[in-house]
Amino acid sequence: MTVMRTSLRNFFAHKGRMALSAVAVLLSVAFVCGTLVFTDTMNTTFDKLFAATSSDVQVSAKGASDTGETTSDTGKPPVMPASVLGKIRHAQGVKAAEGTVFSTKATVVDAAKDDLSPSSGAPTIVGGWNGNDARTMKITSGTAPRAPGQIMVDADTADKHHLKLGDEIGVITTVGTHTARISGIATFTVTNPGAAIFYLDTRTAQRTLVGRTGVYTNVNVTAAKGVTDDGLKKNVMAELGGGYKVQTAKEVADANQKQVESFLNVMKYAMLGFAGIAFLVGIFLIINTFSMLVAQRTREIGLMRAIGSSRKQVNRSVLAEALLLGVVGSVLGVGAGVGIAVGLMKLMGNMGMHLSTDDLTVAWTTPVIGLLLGVVVTVLAAYLPARRAGKVSPMAALRDAGAPSDARSGWIRALVGAVLTAAGGMGLYAAATADKAKDGSSWLGLGIVLTLIGFVVIGPLLAGGLVRVLSAVLLRVFGPVGRMAERNALRNPRRTGATGAALMIGLALVACLSVVGSSMVASATDQLDKTVGTDFIIQSDKDQVLITPQAVQVIKATPGLARITEYKTTVADYTTPDGQTLKDTDITAADPSYASDLRKKTVAGDLKDAYLPDSMSVHEKFAKAHGIHLGSKVTVAFKNGSTAHLTVRAITSSDDVIDQGAKYTSIATLDKYVPADKRPLDRLVFATAEDGQQAAAYKALKSALHEYPQYKVRDQTDYKKALKDQIGQLLNMIYGLLALAIIVAVLGVVNTLALSVVERTREIGLMRAIGLSRRQLRRMIRLESVVIALFGALLGLGLGMGWGATAQKLLALEGLKVLDIPWPTIVTVFVGSAFVGLFAALIPAFRAGRMNVLNAIATD
Amino acid sequence: MTSAVTIPRHGGTGGRTAVAARARQVVKAYGAGETRVVALDHVDVDIARGQFTAIMGPSGSGKSTLMHCLAGLDTVTSGQIYLDETEITGLKDKKLTKLRRDRIGFIFQAFNLLPTLNALENITLPMDIAGRKPDKEWLERVVTTVGLADRLKHRPTQLSGGQQQRVAVARALAARPEIIFGDEPTGNLDSRAGAEVLGFLRRSVDELGQTIVMVTHDPVAASYADRVLYLADGRIVDEMFKPTADAVLDRMKDFDARGRTS
Repeated sequence: MTVMRTSLRNFFAHKGRMALSAVAVLLSVAFVCGTLVFTDTMNTTFDKLFAATSSDVQVSAKGASDTGETTSDTGKPPVMPASVLGKIRHAQGVKAAEGTVFSTKATVVDAAKDDLSPSSGAPTIVGGWNGNDARTMKITSGTAPRAPGQIMVDADTADKHHLKLGDEIGVITTVGTHTARISGIATFTVTNPGAAIFYLDTRTAQRTLVGRTGVYTNVNVTAAKGVTDDGLKKNVMAELGGGYKVQTAKEVADANQKQVESFLNVMKYAMLGFAGIAFLVGIFLIINTFSMLVAQRTREIGLMRAIGSSRKQVNRSVLAEALLLGVVGSVLGVGAGVGIAVGLMKLMGNMGMHLSTDDLTVAWTTPVIGLLLGVVVTVLAAYLPARRAGKVSPMAALRDAGAPSDARSGWIRALVGAVLTAAGGMGLYAAATADKAKDGSSWLGLGIVLTLIGFVVIGPLLAGGLVRVLSAVLLRVFGPVGRMAERNALRNPRRTGATGAALMIGLALVACLSVVGSSMVASATDQLDKTVGTDFIIQSDKDQVLITPQAVQVIKATPGLARITEYKTTVADYTTPDGQTLKDTDITAADPSYASDLRKKTVAGDLKDAYLPDSMSVHEKFAKAHGIHLGSKVTVAFKNGSTAHLTVRAITSSDDVIDQGAKYTSIATLDKYVPADKRPLDRLVFATAEDGQQAAAYKALKSALHEYPQYKVRDQTDYKKALKDQIGQLLNMIYGLLALAIIVAVLGVVNTLALSVVERTREIGLMRAIGLSRRQLRRMIRLESVVIALFGALLGLGLGMGWGATAQKLLALEGLKVLDIPWPTIVTVFVGSAFVGLFAALIPAFRAGRMNVLNAIATD
Repeated sequence: MTSAVTIPRHGGTGGRTAVAARARQVVKAYGAGETRVVALDHVDVDIARGQFTAIMGPSGSGKSTLMHCLAGLDTVTSGQIYLDETEITGLKDKKLTKLRRDRIGFIFQAFNLLPTLNALENITLPMDIAGRKPDKEWLERVVTTVGLADRLKHRPTQLSGGQQQRVAVARALAARPEIIFGDEPTGNLDSRAGAEVLGFLRRSVDELGQTIVMVTHDPVAASYADRVLYLADGRIVDEMFKPTADAVLDRMKDFDARGRTS
């Protein structure tokens, strides 16, 4: 009981010193809980949406996906004849059935030809207004569309793009561009997760989306009273026979949910990963805090031991404090987590995905996981310092405070650290020289983990040398104040090491990713320069939006172009010479001129020959895996088409970044086996200008495609920039998430300094007494902080660049040929760390400056 | 005794008064109302230049407070304190810091040295902080006087308690302050080491013309001084010139007896 009481008293006596550790625990726990609450809430939102929008039973055409969305790349949704409706109505237990048409393949523009699609990646849906949708949408102004010239839009999209009744809207499909004016605006009665939805009357929808009337994409069936959905499904299937997709409301909802869940899971685990890193960094902070508290309390602990406390009791009293810290931090963290989730929901709202806080879902597991994680991590982290506290001898009560230095553990540490680092280095070397990407990546992972641990262990030893070097370069100009800052940073290398290591982790990841990212850009740019022989690349930035035949005609009609290359992708079932059948494998069909547009290296044959009738090319790895040689025959059963026997006339090398692993055939060959209405639309179109006409052709293309804002015309410079921006955006997102770990590390620096200042109260008093001004004192503390931060940055950046370079060497097998170290980023991070150091020292320096000189020098 | 005229000074010339520091009607009180405690009660005192002054008194008599106020470490409730002709009462922290740095030297009872700096660095610290170059010849003389020439590269933890205090004395002397304040500088030392340190203080007054004020409760320490001031209940109650240890002890016993009877 006494143990508990001492712990409690200690905890509250030093609550200031505990505060930052508690914040670290809080942040990590909050991030975990926030992620869980947020993803759970998203799931709830979608659950509700799908439950609300599905009819009892839905019938769709055979080619439709489970979620009812269009998957075909012909640009038209799969349809069924209108006669189906009559049959369904005959089935038993059907109360009502309504046919409708919708497509997610259309592009919708306003009068200024601006794309109205959501930027969040949510779909754009154009469909016929029907009774099923009327259940979840209320017309809040105007009327439902009744004539070809009318269109209704959902309220969120109308708000976002400032659309009013009467505004002109264009619907671009493979059929053509249909224009209409807004007749009504409808508001969701359930949460709209961000899709842009447009309604036409059913006939107009059929004409616009499919090109003919008398077809439906879906029939929504309502069950009569007392008929279950499953029963209804059976009856409808019995009436229709095969050839249609019949799903109950639950099946549709589940399929939808599954799709959303896979996306949410990626997000969830990525965010949890970053929370994990923050936890890791937090561990350093907690270890440091407790080590310092134990060191400061050495005399007190010695006294407790002298009057008869057992080691175990001392040990336990420290752990009890950690437990308390963990509980307090975690409980607050769980609360903050809900706040973070709400914040994320607001953020999603800004991005066009409106989530309602009514759906806020806190599963009982969330607080349990948060609490457990926080408490377990805290107590584990405090274990080592607690053990050290237990080892304090009763004699310590009589000695002057201060931890005795143990040279032996320094040696062991050096040895262990060196061995780990060396092993990690070997792992990295093995990764860099690996022949197979798969083996290499496990070596890389091992190397990263081992070098990281190695650096953490060896950090305190490196601190000695590195801090001296840094100080020699940076601090000497500050004279005696700089020298004292250096000595202070050096006086407890373990502390400096641990504080720097916390910062190291986050920065190492930043450095590694920035090296890989910029190497990606550099490699792709390099390859573009070397292999691309065309001037313009035309494509949509959205993966699911393909180029309509009308747009292709517009491109073809543009003056100043020497040649146009169309490029399509589709899937087929392959049967290779080794007897294997590969289901749904991709095949690329392009015009023969593609061989000049992208000069791919071949290991055998000439790529031009792959575009001969009934010919194709495969890439080296594929050829090796399936026993394919020049002249081998591959059976290719095109999806939605017939089976071809294609001769392999070229084998391309596998190590490119662009079009990696593509298997080419000509569009003519594709057309031979796939009927006209099933052919995929162009994914890309390449245009090459006549000599000297580049500038004019570029302009002409841009203005010609003004009507089609969904397609971007890019010359090579634009394309490189787009690539760079894309990777830059991804990196920025990751940096943003890593910021959490860095914030925790900064808290660690603040904490170390704050505790050091307390520990050095008398020293500070002495210095003030003999004439150190407040400004000098504050500067001394700031400089110490800067040196610690730079030490962490140096380790982190060095380690991270090593990882990044290794990853590049490994990925060279996959085409990442060029190593590009982004020096501006690295230097910015390094300099930024100095500022982080300054920032971290703000409060400790301020407090040290305010210290009363007399109190500080007063003996005991 | 060496006259004050020979005291080497930086900067100004002559015109120095024979008083290095003085307190006029200094009151230092803590708290307010009924809990008000008066530590110094209208104290007037002159510290003679080039002399060794000891302040004595029982615990709680206000001797440390007086020294802290004279040294600009503590503020007074009312009254004035002058260092030479400068009034230091009412000075802002910045000016006070500069004053302590440039014109005052300190020797504390314990924890006098920065553990991260070696002996020499500790000695020159006040000048380093001020951004001044130490006078080499003077520094050498001080270092030899306190007998530390072969210990200069040692860290404080590698020095004995007596050696540490000698380093502190050297630090106080090295910057040639107008006045050195010692707060029980030998309180933590055994008698031999204490005698050594006190000897140096005495010599620095005699040979270097230094002005020293020392708070102590040890009659033997006080006997090294030229003049002893006795404090009781925040007032100066007596003084003694050219004291001997026995005389000081007798006087103290006297006070004790009076204190008990009153």
